[in-house]
Amino acid sequence: MNQTEHKQTSLAIVDARDWQNQFDLRTGDKSEVRSPLVELMKEVLGKHHYPGDSGPDCNRWVTDTALDLIAGYQPQFAFLTYAGQYFASRMGPMNVPERQVMMTELFLEVERFIGESGFTPVIVGRGGVTPLEGVIDLSDLDGIGISTHWSARYAGLHEPSEADLKRLEADPNVERIVTRKEFLDLFVGASQDSLLLPEYLLVANRGYAFKALGCTARKPVMIPDATPHIPFFSSLGSADEITSIRSVVDRGLQLGRRVALIMLEGVGADDFHWPGTPCGNSREWFCFEPGDAQLLAITTGQHRIFEYPPGHLFYAGDSEKRDYPLSGYFKEIPAGTIGAEFSGRSIAVGNKSMSTHMVSGADLCVECFARNHYNQGTLGVIHRQDKV
Amino acid sequence: MRCNYCEWRCELGAETYGKCRMYYADGSTVKERFPDMWSTYEVSRIESIPFYHVYPGSRCLTTGTSSCNFDCKYCSNAFIAKQDPAEMQHKMYRFTAQKLVDMAVRLGCTSIVFNVNEPTVSLPSLQELAREAAIAGIRMGCLTNGYSTPDATELLASIFSFFNISLKGLANEYNRTCIGIPSVEPILRTIRRLAERHHIEVTTPVVQGANDNELDEIARFIADIDPEIPWHVLRLLPEDEMKDAVYPNIEQINSALIGARTRLPYIYFHNFVGSEWVNTLCPECSAPAIERFSLGCGGDRLQRFLCANGKCPVCSHNIRILGEGTV
Repeated sequence: MNQTEHKQTSLAIVDARDWQNQFDLRTGDKSEVRSPLVELMKEVLGKHHYPGDSGPDCNRWVTDTALDLIAGYQPQFAFLTYAGQYFASRMGPMNVPERQVMMTELFLEVERFIGESGFTPVIVGRGGVTPLEGVIDLSDLDGIGISTHWSARYAGLHEPSEADLKRLEADPNVERIVTRKEFLDLFVGASQDSLLLPEYLLVANRGYAFKALGCTARKPVMIPDATPHIPFFSSLGSADEITSIRSVVDRGLQLGRRVALIMLEGVGADDFHWPGTPCGNSREWFCFEPGDAQLLAITTGQHRIFEYPPGHLFYAGDSEKRDYPLSGYFKEIPAGTIGAEFSGRSIAVGNKSMSTHMVSGADLCVECFARNHYNQGTLGVIHRQDKV
Repeated sequence: MRCNYCEWRCELGAETYGKCRMYYADGSTVKERFPDMWSTYEVSRIESIPFYHVYPGSRCLTTGTSSCNFDCKYCSNAFIAKQDPAEMQHKMYRFTAQKLVDMAVRLGCTSIVFNVNEPTVSLPSLQELAREAAIAGIRMGCLTNGYSTPDATELLASIFSFFNISLKGLANEYNRTCIGIPSVEPILRTIRRLAERHHIEVTTPVVQGANDNELDEIARFIADIDPEIPWHVLRLLPEDEMKDAVYPNIEQINSALIGARTRLPYIYFHNFVGSEWVNTLCPECSAPAIERFSLGCGGDRLQRFLCANGKCPVCSHNIRILGEGTV
């Protein structure tokens, strides 16, 4: 039975250090459900307090939490994201030796997970970072410029004037201005897919970031370097495109292997410590930033760019009583993810918050709950309880 | 000349900018160094500010400038509030008042809320913004530390129609060592005065072991003014100089509020994900009147607005709300 047929309620357990609460993931209503998996989740959350995005042990937290979930649940599939190095790169200046040390520590942490769990790894670097060279200010336009979800290279433009478009066309740091139709055609979208697309998608040159509605006031030192290829490593086979990674994982699972899909935030080919091969991270001129669209492409094997496209009016649907209040801007659990479709047991752990439980679809998920780096604690999600 | 905006009453000169570093003296006039410069603009739900009793569910444009007149050891916005404002300017947005108001209208916001830093450090720009907002029918609200002079408090009251005032602690020792001010008295005076003129809510960030012993006393102070003033007790996650402080214990702080809850019907304990003390209950019959979900750190949202026309859905008792809620 897969998730599509499955109607069990997903549970959310939050842990704010020495205090836990439990909810229906969809409605946000308080839940009193008790079960062995709820107890397991509460125990794991209580044992592993998140040290914070800038904490030196934040990647160790991923490994330790995952190992305990594995010990308690015996899954065949694990989805992990390690993001400590991304946060450190983004927030503070770092010289080359410091960066090398950081990446070595990441490598050792991942190797520790592989060694102690015995899982066969499928490792993906989600793309490196590059120094912020400058910003493209959209705040003075007549139209509304929106840059969402820590995006740097892409912004949406809504209701622009002719003068806006002229100005942007003349801006040497704007690489491209893409109409809604062009973007739709690029990913072969149907007309209903255009509902959330901005009128224009703006693409910045490498190293430049948009300054617009939706941007955090903290100025980053480094920004994602959205490149045509990202590094990939697995003994289970190769993946030429990010949408092929899913089949590599599926193949390993079908062989009866225990497989860990390990995502490394802020890691490009230069920082990748395994004998990786380049994996396509683009479609023509569009290169994926390390956002949820990239993750969904990896975990579903399909491009899902239109569900929450870059530069969409993120606040428009923020109405009263929206479902999934703990799941960021997600309005529903994405269908077709590895965890959702795999009939065996699965777990996920990540320290890039609020999306792991949605993009992985794993039975048991633990993620940090940090908002703008303020460490609120952790979130555990139980999607499935029928595999015990 | 002396600045008359906050109780530091700094001596200003052509190149002497006072504690907040935001003003200078031009002859006998206090002028802003960086007028019309804003550190951010964002679209938010009013609950996330937090305002729990103001136009529930409404969308607001949030903004701020730079700097502050306090020196809180645990500041969560030190990257804006404690930086030299002169060095911040290249990161800022230059918006005329007209532009900000136009943006609020286009983005479907019914109010503009100043919530990043202390409004007293940017009063002339805010006066101009209020003039434009009034023309467009946009309301103005703010978070403030309440350290304004009596004259500046009247100015604040002319600019904003709803306030969330931070009462960080009552003990002078705490205010001296943790906040960097000699006395809490000006803040208490501001709370009393603004409560006479406008809707106010009060916020107390709890630093466990430092000010949690004062919660009863703070509740008594608020109740003496008006027991229906909403009080937000925040579980503070210290940043900046107190970044390594122990995480405050939720159960212990909640237990410390037992006495306060007998005095104030609208107490909210939040700033952590999943708080179950964010709903408005009818003071008369305890029925839920407004339900919210808290994500902590500016992530609170309306879940259900149950008190149409400001009446309890069960007993019709009046629930204090400024404006209508989203139904």
